[in-house]
Amino acid sequence: MAKDIDPRLIAQLASRRRFIGGGAAAAAALVLGPSFLAACSKSDDSSGTASGPATPSDDGSPATGKLRISNWPLYMADGFVAAFQTATGLTVDYKEDFNDNEEWFAKNKEPLSRKQDIGADLVVPTQFLAARLHGLGWLNDISESRWTNKKNMRPDLLNAAADPGRKFSAPYMSGMVGLAYNKAATGRDITKIDDLWDPAYKGKVSLFSDMQDGLGMIMLSQGSSLDDPTIENLQKAVDLVKEQKDKGQIRRFTGNDYADDLAAGNIVIAQAYSGDVVQLQKDNPDLQFVVPESGGTTFVDTMVIPYTTQNQKAAEEWINYVYDRPNYAKLIAATQYVPVLSDMTDELNKLDPGLASNALINPAKATLDKLQSWPALTDEQTQEFNTAYAAVTGA
Amino acid sequence: MVLPALAYLGVFYVVPFFSLFRTSLSTMGGSIYLPKLTFAWDFSNYGDAFSMYREQIFRSFGYALTATVLCLLLAFPLAYVIAFKAGRYKNLLLGLVILPFFVTFLIRTLAWKTILADDGWVVDALQWVRLLPPDGRILSTAGAVIGGLTYNWIIFMILPLYVSLEKIDVRLLEASRDLYANNRRMFGKVILPLALPGVLAGSMLVFIPSVGDFINASYLGSTQNTMIGNVIQKQFLVVKDYPAAAAMSFVLMALILAGVLMYARALGTEDLV
Repeated sequence: MAKDIDPRLIAQLASRRRFIGGGAAAAAALVLGPSFLAACSKSDDSSGTASGPATPSDDGSPATGKLRISNWPLYMADGFVAAFQTATGLTVDYKEDFNDNEEWFAKNKEPLSRKQDIGADLVVPTQFLAARLHGLGWLNDISESRWTNKKNMRPDLLNAAADPGRKFSAPYMSGMVGLAYNKAATGRDITKIDDLWDPAYKGKVSLFSDMQDGLGMIMLSQGSSLDDPTIENLQKAVDLVKEQKDKGQIRRFTGNDYADDLAAGNIVIAQAYSGDVVQLQKDNPDLQFVVPESGGTTFVDTMVIPYTTQNQKAAEEWINYVYDRPNYAKLIAATQYVPVLSDMTDELNKLDPGLASNALINPAKATLDKLQSWPALTDEQTQEFNTAYAAVTGA
Repeated sequence: MVLPALAYLGVFYVVPFFSLFRTSLSTMGGSIYLPKLTFAWDFSNYGDAFSMYREQIFRSFGYALTATVLCLLLAFPLAYVIAFKAGRYKNLLLGLVILPFFVTFLIRTLAWKTILADDGWVVDALQWVRLLPPDGRILSTAGAVIGGLTYNWIIFMILPLYVSLEKIDVRLLEASRDLYANNRRMFGKVILPLALPGVLAGSMLVFIPSVGDFINASYLGSTQNTMIGNVIQKQFLVVKDYPAAAAMSFVLMALILAGVLMYARALGTEDLV
């Protein structure tokens, strides 16, 4: 009998996500020229953060028209959007153009600060960015009356410190940040952070360029706690990464593109996201995912509605549709991340017997015990930490 | 007639240029996510940009220079053949030169990543013939980055060279023959001097974008091969330190300008095309 997914065990899964280093950055920077300039030239006019309307008025009529969704790549099940369109009569313009939290923010903050349409009615930032957007007053609340399936949410997520009661953010997927390795190439099990620095793997290791995903597990391996991260502890981790980088141990700082390098054999050990590895294993059974002995971190990506949305009701309809267990099971079967809804076992096993007992979708307690999540950082901390890590990853 | 072009330059070149210049001398303040830039003649941005990232700046110039020389060495014979020897296949050959550039820059670069992969057939073959040590690699090396730059920008060398070679009056070559010039003398005394404008234009068209490029370094390089473009990109998109990024852009621009002027002077032409 498959184990139920115990919400208490998953309670520790809480915050974080992916980042495509190169491609997105490149494309964004090419496209971004004008908005950079806009950002630069804007020197003295007060860039007021218009206080966002907490809840727009809702006349109770059904959602109609078009919904524009901007989501991460490979974060959707085949046929899901079409089924939603059939079920609701709405038209969906689904784009996989959300590649990187910080870059998305750098690109969209100017129009958002001026309350201009950003071309999306619903976006899926990681929790820390959702909180930042909310703090700036740029998110609408999600109407309770249109989100009746909210009751299916994992209680630990419902009461998360980032958004108690989930007023403005609806978790979409959660997952683990750990290590992926090619066992055929390493020739042994990888269990700890020190294995990354084994001279045998020189130039075959990749780390995340994202600060939280990249440094979290390294700080844990140095005995630093993530509960109250200090710049001293963070700098200690940055120094270690710098030392290994200068030795030529680290081949690349990556976003999601580590997956290609891992599959191509250019990288044998990578910092990785749990769901990606399950998907990659289908092509290469030698790939393994492990949470390092000293611990790994977690992330939660959330659906939010920017206050510039052109179709609030349709966005809420979408969120409610995703929160239906049979629908959500299809998403999990495709992405292989950890569900944000409770009691998914039956629905998952209906789609694929044994799916619910997959250790990466339903991690064992021993794994969950090793996971920590980053707390909500202040703006100053985020900036300070990003700058410290960028001095190594961007140089 | 030149008004539209002037207006275009004004809007898309002069205005951003001054805006960037202003940013480079500003200090950041206010909130972290919507910082206010205050113009302050803050030249420390420049000092910091140069001192912190000197290594990347020198590396960028080294890579770009190498790529430019490689482009010149590869493109000159090709342009020469197309201009003088191709006959009726001239247009076909020119078409073939341009053809790969119908595919976007990004895809072409990523394709190299696949071709040069550590477990790929190219590396296997080179290891088999002992040109690479058993644990050697091509991808994520300086060579791969320089190769990528050369490959991606070579068309901008071939075309100007072709244009200047094609303009050469064949009767001049015949005249040099009549005066008993051998091949080498004909090349040194007639062809090369007449092709110099093409060499100059091509070198600049390759060198300038190569110095600021960051795509090749991100995909084909490792953490040891980052270029100044990568640093600027990171400063703009992750650290969001706009003054530092703008200052770095200006340092880069100034160095390129100095380099180009010296080069133009060395080639003895003030005339850029």
